Amino acid sequence: MLTTGIEILLWVAVFKGAKSATIAGFSEANYLSYALWSAFFARIATSWMYEFKMVEEVSSGSINSIIVRPMSFYEYYLSQLMGYKVVTTFISLIIPIAAVFIFDLPTDLSRLPLATLLCFYYLFLVHTISFIISTMAFHFTKISSLTVAKNLFMWILMGELFPLDLLPEPYKTWVISLPFASGTFTPVAYITGRIGLQTVIEGFMSVTIGLVVLNLIGAYLWRRGLNTYVGTGA
Amino acid sequence: MKNVIETHDLQRIYQTYQKPEGLVNSIKGIWERKYDSKIALDKTSIKIEAGKIIGLVGANGAGKTTLLKILSGLVTPSSGDASVLGYRPWERKNDFLRQMSILLGQKNQLWWDISPLDSYALLARIYDLDVTHARKKVDELASVLDCKHVLNTQLRRLSLGERMKMEIIGALLHEPKILFLDEPTIGLDIVAQENIRHFLAKYVSEKEPTVILTSHYMDDIATLADSLLLISKGKIVYQGTVEQFTNNTNSELAHDEKVDFEEVIRRFLETESRVR
Repeated sequence: MLTTGIEILLWVAVFKGAKSATIAGFSEANYLSYALWSAFFARIATSWMYEFKMVEEVSSGSINSIIVRPMSFYEYYLSQLMGYKVVTTFISLIIPIAAVFIFDLPTDLSRLPLATLLCFYYLFLVHTISFIISTMAFHFTKISSLTVAKNLFMWILMGELFPLDLLPEPYKTWVISLPFASGTFTPVAYITGRIGLQTVIEGFMSVTIGLVVLNLIGAYLWRRGLNTYVGTGA
Repeated sequence: MKNVIETHDLQRIYQTYQKPEGLVNSIKGIWERKYDSKIALDKTSIKIEAGKIIGLVGANGAGKTTLLKILSGLVTPSSGDASVLGYRPWERKNDFLRQMSILLGQKNQLWWDISPLDSYALLARIYDLDVTHARKKVDELASVLDCKHVLNTQLRRLSLGERMKMEIIGALLHEPKILFLDEPTIGLDIVAQENIRHFLAKYVSEKEPTVILTSHYMDDIATLADSLLLISKGKIVYQGTVEQFTNNTNSELAHDEKVDFEEVIRRFLETESRVR
């Protein structure tokens, strides 16, 4: 709430100081709507809590109880993450929807289901990245700094801080084509009318490619990690 | 009788980083890394028949848990081969994992924050068990272990003895063909130890799984084990029955001196620590 409030105040200040009523073709109300919805989608699109748990499981040896059972560490935490996100999304959706009606912010609510679907699809990618980071725990004692660095990197590339279409070319095209934009920028820009369906479809494709590549990397690192694992704590 | 466990020159070497003391040395250690190699298991070859209870005994650091970890698939060996129920354990194939169970006395495997009943419901789904049959099994095992009254209590709130009973139920829920028990009675009082021993003896006589049991309590081995595997410095130094080992040792003693199994093992371990 605090960071959303600060972002909203920043955009209000930007428009107060701007010489025109629009920036990059969009009004103040549009940017306020973006700030509100980007906070909501960005909260869906993160998994740092489960990433810490996954890393801790590997470091402490609690992973023993998963390795000796016919279950997948990846799928186990993915199901926990998705269950948590579905419940919290439905509950927290009340706030931005209420704000849209109270402050009359420009939002096409009919686009919300597809936007949410893209964000949830992006969560698979986020989880895969968390899985890859957790495999580092097979080799290193403390890797929380990796999580912090990764989160900062993704926070910028997701578009929570500002709409990515404000970037100058060629960075704008490059950054929006990366799968990270599907975490916040693409779904938010879609429901606030900044982009069309084509960009959303490209977002799905980009995340799919990212999933294939990262899953291959994750599978390799997992096998490598297990080969060196000493059964900590047993 | 068919062998369910076979190992051939199984070896595990642990390489541990020797971290130097202090900040400056720690930084130097990034590029001048020194490792210590320990042979935890040294070209071990064993054969275990189906339906037997094998007591695995050895001093601390002898290699008991390493052998158990390799045979259960927790750890990959450095060299050699092993077959458990026809599978290489470290490949961790689901068909193998569904027939195997490991109980680690020093580490909980059930979920800490939920009740045992919820954990068993999860396990039933993980092992693809029929839910009704699994519930009935939990009921049966909990009745025998006299712990039905705590099935709905969060695992973290149970005493050590009660938690161990819950862990045993969790380990036996899917009726494994192979059971690895790593110090199942550690930390329990005498009465609880006896209860667990009686339960395991009854269970094994009814279901006939193959069991490998490690314990520092010789009563566990003497009561339960059909055969004894003595391990020392990563090598198997004796494989045979408990009775045979005790008789062999007694035959080496003076005529008027006879010792029981526990004393025999105590002398063996003392010799080992002197040699080390």
